[in-house]
Amino acid sequence: MSTQPDRSDLRNLQDKTAIVGVGTTEFGAIYRDLDPERSAYELGLIAFREALNDAGLRRTEVDGVIVSRLPHYGRMCEMIGLRHPRFVNVLPGEGRQSGIALQYAALAVANGMADVVACIYGNNGRSAGARYGGENRGISTQAMFEAPYGMTSPGAVTSMMFRRHQYRYGTTTEPLGHLAISNRANAALNPNAVMQRPITMDDYHGARYIAEPLCLFDYCLINDGGVCFIVTSAERARDLKHTPVLIHATSQASDITPVYVADDFWHEPMSQIADDLFAISEAQREDLAFAQLYDNFTPTMLFTLEGMGFCERGEGGDWITPERIGLHGELPLNTGGGHTSESYMQGWALHVEAVRQLRQTCGERQVDDAQYGLYACAAPLATGHILKRDDQ
Amino acid sequence: MTAQTDAPSAAQSYEKPLPPVIGLTKPFWDGCREGVLQIQFCNICDLPWFPPAEACPRCLQDDWEWRPISGQGTVWSWIRMWQKYFPGWAPDEYPYTVALIKLEEGPYMYSTLVDIDDQDVSCDLPVAVDFRQVNDEITLPVFRPARNQH
Repeated sequence: MSTQPDRSDLRNLQDKTAIVGVGTTEFGAIYRDLDPERSAYELGLIAFREALNDAGLRRTEVDGVIVSRLPHYGRMCEMIGLRHPRFVNVLPGEGRQSGIALQYAALAVANGMADVVACIYGNNGRSAGARYGGENRGISTQAMFEAPYGMTSPGAVTSMMFRRHQYRYGTTTEPLGHLAISNRANAALNPNAVMQRPITMDDYHGARYIAEPLCLFDYCLINDGGVCFIVTSAERARDLKHTPVLIHATSQASDITPVYVADDFWHEPMSQIADDLFAISEAQREDLAFAQLYDNFTPTMLFTLEGMGFCERGEGGDWITPERIGLHGELPLNTGGGHTSESYMQGWALHVEAVRQLRQTCGERQVDDAQYGLYACAAPLATGHILKRDDQ
Repeated sequence: MTAQTDAPSAAQSYEKPLPPVIGLTKPFWDGCREGVLQIQFCNICDLPWFPPAEACPRCLQDDWEWRPISGQGTVWSWIRMWQKYFPGWAPDEYPYTVALIKLEEGPYMYSTLVDIDDQDVSCDLPVAVDFRQVNDEITLPVFRPARNQH
């Protein structure tokens, strides 16, 4: 007897809400200007201001705030002058939370708990000297059972998973190189990207290892920045400045283990999300104009493509070709340059890129026929959305 | 005797991260010091788990005990760490190997491999636990190729 819950109620959120404003800081300029005094709140503020202007909303129309990576909602609300918001939350600074922030905003708006929710992210990690590895303080599993062996960092666990994938399926690092090169080529067409110099397969194979088999170009950048997106009802969105980008279908699944890794490369949660999204949406895989895939490290994209059924299990390595994933290919990936080349905004900037592509305002890097686009993040908490350009 | 007392003790010269020992994990480290790898088992449903936790994740009851395990497992995967995240590894120790061991009893455990060259390591390699004393309190479980490979 199945104990699976009925997931068809996910339809209740379909096309009810929309992203109406997006804002990002200047990733490249800030990268070149290291400032140890730069605060994450300041970066969040800049992004919020831009998103508000982008939406054509007044500050006082915002009645919901979700912050992430910012230590406390209070300081952020204080800085943007929101004394009486009626829906407020704070999410930890993990990349998997960006898609969840959008889900909470959509849930709040669709259920009447807020009219306009600003989701705000600020990251001063580079200026603050974040290393994303080497932590062994306090009483944690990491400190007690990993650090004594020198085990640390999200990249190292992803590398563990990729090595296993190589063993199981004969995958080489070549497809990871294609992903890194493609991200960089897209970033070269994105004036706001941190890394704009194109790279070649020779560059990829010549790069130093971090946690072998993964090398420098498999890794996300470490850079400062802020991102904001603003969500309101689809109805209200139609009276605002831009073509609304509807939250058309969204789903969450998980695989929470003590060692972070998933022995199926997150196939189960990602296939669950794909089943949900493609059951809700009239759009199917071939209708997606692009996919923004969470790329803390390049193998995460490969795992996502397999889990979501763009190719068979274990065949991601063969599926990933420059022709297929390029801006005018079958499924353009990470069109703004992703975490390895545009900015490491933990999924937040991938959402903004999705919105800008669906508004069809991406200039040189604009993909064709942008009606539907995918965001997906494979992680212990996995999320996926299909976003839709609203042409009504 | 003089030479021994004059030499820096293992504890003083050991600069790699040491695990904090708390009440919940003390039996694990006590076992390692005696050359016994033990993890928690539920007395109600017999589920083993690692890392240590206050209750059985299935029964949610605190009726559990530490039981020695076989020390046998396989390499689920492994990496070579080149990035210098931690102090304590000498320059000539890079890259060092970290392995994720799938214990015969089910749980996973990060560790390292001994008595094997990197070129001979592969996923699913059968391994057995061994121990490396670090100081008076801590002995780390490590894994070497299993002697009787089937």
